[in-house]
Amino acid sequence: MATAAILDLNDAQSRQLVGTAADAKLNLRLEPGDFALIDARDADLGRDFADLCSGLMPPDKGAVEFLGRDWTSLPLDYAQALRGRIGRVFAGRSWIDFLDAATDIMLPQLHHTRRDPAELRAHATDLCRRFGLPGLPIGRIGMLSAGDLVRAGFVRAFLGEPMLLLLESPLQGVYADMVPMLLNGIAEARDRGAAAIWMTRNKAVWGDRSFPATQRLRLGYHGLTSLRTS
Amino acid sequence: MNAAGLNEASSTATQPPPQPPPDQLPPGQLPSGRWHRDFLWRWLGWLGRLTRRRMRFLLTLASMAMGVAVDALRPASWRRTTRAEFRRVLRQSLGGGLTTTVLTAAIIGLGMVYQALYWLGAAGQEESIGSILVTILIREIIPVLVGLILLGRSGSVVLTELGGLQANGQIQVLQAQGIDPVGALILPRGIAFATAAYTLGVIFMLVSLLTGFIVGSLVGAVRMSLWSFLDNVLTAMHPADFAIFPIKLVVIGLLVAMTACLTALDAEPHLDANRLMPRGFVRGLLSIMLVSGVLSLAS
Repeated sequence: MATAAILDLNDAQSRQLVGTAADAKLNLRLEPGDFALIDARDADLGRDFADLCSGLMPPDKGAVEFLGRDWTSLPLDYAQALRGRIGRVFAGRSWIDFLDAATDIMLPQLHHTRRDPAELRAHATDLCRRFGLPGLPIGRIGMLSAGDLVRAGFVRAFLGEPMLLLLESPLQGVYADMVPMLLNGIAEARDRGAAAIWMTRNKAVWGDRSFPATQRLRLGYHGLTSLRTS
Repeated sequence: MNAAGLNEASSTATQPPPQPPPDQLPPGQLPSGRWHRDFLWRWLGWLGRLTRRRMRFLLTLASMAMGVAVDALRPASWRRTTRAEFRRVLRQSLGGGLTTTVLTAAIIGLGMVYQALYWLGAAGQEESIGSILVTILIREIIPVLVGLILLGRSGSVVLTELGGLQANGQIQVLQAQGIDPVGALILPRGIAFATAAYTLGVIFMLVSLLTGFIVGSLVGAVRMSLWSFLDNVLTAMHPADFAIFPIKLVVIGLLVAMTACLTALDAEPHLDANRLMPRGFVRGLLSIMLVSGVLSLAS
């Protein structure tokens, strides 16, 4: 019996994908433990692709399945619950400014789960320390520096053991010394059966042949083009 | 127009110029009958688009308010994020509007309740104070003023908060995390505003009645006890008033929240809070007046 893929894009086509040919078909299959590095120079296209993977942008043709379920066939409540299993690092502004930082970071988990808040807070604090923050931030999210906001974004994405990590240009605004921490987090997630997609505009990341990706792809006018992995 | 002109017009109207067969018409030109039909369809289309555009906000508002009212009855809608947001918004709308409500109620107590007590006392008609206060103050003035206080004090906060989220694309971020913006942002605001409106309305009524009575007693214009005064007011209330007063307040509170939420979330991405504020205020004001008028007619 074939293993259920974490994410399966099967000839997915969408006219809403900014900057791709109308007939560009996207194919990508991520099994548990897979890690795709995608060269996405166009930030808007990267965001749209992440939306397609999350079921927010229904394909005109083809199918996008997450954990074996086609997004378009799912009732809204079910699809929202499944999106709670995706940890996403967003490229743009992604915080609810009027909430305090700790609630903002834990918001998806507070919404989708019934985990004990104290346990959740302890887990979030642990992740904060691992990603270079002194602890779970207090006060308004707007008081954090740009670098700390990116770190807080990592904590939010990794909190709750997601099955798919969608990282949109995650190194924007942080120093290169974050790469090992991030790769460690991704490796741990892959070890427990999750898959990850890292979309990058960073030439250093893309050009690093030692990057532990199982698939290398380029996202552009012709859709997703698979490249040979080292 | 002279007779010749009329004749010309009538002859033109009765004898249309001969039309070539449709297959011999130049490209882009339609036969006369088809042209009229085409014009009629286009005009009807334009009229429909205009009506739909004008009615869209109202219809969306009605459906959203109904959706929130129905969702609020489902325990599954009250996740802990929704409950936390409800508590935060309720604290903000109640705490923020309380001082203004008490002060406004005191002014109304002085300006209306005391004046009514004074002049009716002078005319020997003190026993009709209840029916006057119920008809004017409780049925009409309190719901409208509480709605205005809520709109100015808390509706503007909603416009700023949600307008900022919409402008910066953070609503899409919520959706990408599987969080429904209606459940997480709109539902708690709608119910918090409805609760706040009812609470502020009751506080307003008590403060205005007591202020008017106390001032009237201090200057010697009132010759009845506080209990007689309150009994007078209570006796003047019809059974329908006990339903209409809270319903009016709750619906006004809900619609103030809904108009603010919808104005913020429906705005064009480039609109900032400064441009949203007047639009939200006018819409909120109209909804308060509309609800007040409709429910007054219904009662």
